[in-house]
Amino acid sequence: MKTTHIVDSISEYLEGTLTKEEHTKVAQHISQCKACEQDVVDYQKLFNAFKEEPLKTPSDALEKNFLQLLEEEKQNTVKVVSLNKRAIPKNYWGNGLLKIAASIALLVTAFTAGGYFKSQETQTQLAQVEQERLQLKKTTMMSLLENQSASKRIQAVSYIEDFKSPDDAVVAALADRMLHDENTNVRLTAVDALSKFSASTLVKTAFVEALGTEKDPSVQIAIIQNLVKLQEKKAVGPMKKLLEQEDTQPFVKEEINNVLSEII
Amino acid sequence: MNPIPDEQIMAEVAKGNLDELKVLFERHHLHIYNFLLKTCGDKMLSEDLTQDVFYKVMKYRSSYKNGNFVSWIFTIARNSLNTYYRRNKEVSDGLEKVEHHLTANVNKDHEEKTQLQHALNQLDTSDRAVLVMNKFNGIKYDEMAEIMDSTPGALKTKVSRALQKLKTIYLENE
Repeated sequence: MKTTHIVDSISEYLEGTLTKEEHTKVAQHISQCKACEQDVVDYQKLFNAFKEEPLKTPSDALEKNFLQLLEEEKQNTVKVVSLNKRAIPKNYWGNGLLKIAASIALLVTAFTAGGYFKSQETQTQLAQVEQERLQLKKTTMMSLLENQSASKRIQAVSYIEDFKSPDDAVVAALADRMLHDENTNVRLTAVDALSKFSASTLVKTAFVEALGTEKDPSVQIAIIQNLVKLQEKKAVGPMKKLLEQEDTQPFVKEEINNVLSEII
Repeated sequence: MNPIPDEQIMAEVAKGNLDELKVLFERHHLHIYNFLLKTCGDKMLSEDLTQDVFYKVMKYRSSYKNGNFVSWIFTIARNSLNTYYRRNKEVSDGLEKVEHHLTANVNKDHEEKTQLQHALNQLDTSDRAVLVMNKFNGIKYDEMAEIMDSTPGALKTKVSRALQKLKTIYLENE
C-alpha cells in the first residue's frame, strides 16, 4: 500500500517538485524500502534518457514554407483590413438609412411611373373607344336620316349634338335634310342642329339656300333668326325675295322687315 | 535582458503584427516538431503537422485570448495530431494500422532511434503523447490539463502509470 503510494511520487521526487514535507517523507521511505530504492535508480535512468534524447531538426522546407504562408497571409490581411474599414464606416446608421430611403424612393418612383403609363394607356384606350363610338353614331345617324319615320329622322338629326366638330359629310347630310325633308319638324330640328355649327361656310350657304326654298313659315323664321345672328349679307337677297312673294305669311314678312335693318 | 514573453508577442500577432510570429516560430517550432515526431514517429507527417500548427496560429490569431501561449500551441498540435489519427482511422482499419505503420517505420530506420524512443513506440499513442509532453517538452501538469481538457490530478496519475509501463519496457531492452 505504502509502496504504491511512493511509486506515484517518485517521479516528482526526482524532479524536485514535491513540498519539503513530502520530500522528506519519500526520502525516509526510500531509505527503508529496497524495492523503492531500486525504483528510484530505474526512474533516474529513464529521466536521464529523456534528458539525453536528442532534439531532432526538421528539414529547411518547414521554415521556408512557413515564411511563405506568412507572406501570403500578410498580403491577404492588407486587403481584409481595408475591406473592414469600408464595411464598417463611422456613419453606419446614416448609410443604412440612406439605403432604406433610396429603396423607398425607387419603389415610389416605380409605382408612380407604372401608374402613369397605365393611365396613359387607359386614356388611349378610352379615346379609341370614344372614337369608335362616334364613328358608330355617325354611321347610325347617316342611315337613320334616310329612315321613313319622321321621328327617327329627328332622332338622327339630334345625334349631331354628340359631335364637337362634325365632318363635312355629316353637315352636308344635315343640310340635305333641312332643304329636302318632307317633314317640317325634321327640317326645323335640322336648322336648330346646324345653327350650332354656323361658323362653317357650308352651313351658311345651306341656310341661304334653304331660305329660298323653304315654304313653312316656322322654319323660315328659324332660318331668318339664325342668319341675322350670323350677319350673313348673302341672306339679304333671298329675304327681299320673300317679301315680294305673295304666299309668304304676313308675320314672316314682318319678321324680315324687323331684322333686315340689323343685317345692314 | 529578459526576453519578451510569448504571450506579449502573440498579443501583437493577434493585433495584426504578423512579422512577430517569426519570433514565436523560432522559439517553438523545434518543440512542436519533436513532440509530434516522438509521438507519431513519422518525419514527413511531423513536418506537415508542425507547419499546419503554425498556420492555424496565424489563421486563428484573433481567437488567442492571452492565455498561456505554450498551452495554446500544444492544444493546437495535439488536436492536429488527433484529427490526423481520426481521419486515418476512417480510411484504414484504425489505430492498429497506425501502430503497425509506426513499428514498420521504426524498423526501417532503426539506427536513428534511441533506446528511449524505441520503448516509447511500444506504448499506446495517448500514453506516449503525455510522456513526451511532460518529460521531454517539460510541460507541467496544470498546463497539460489545459491542453488535454482534463484535471492536473488525473494527468499526474496518467503520466505516472505510463511511466511505469515505459520503465518496464525500457529496462527489458537494456
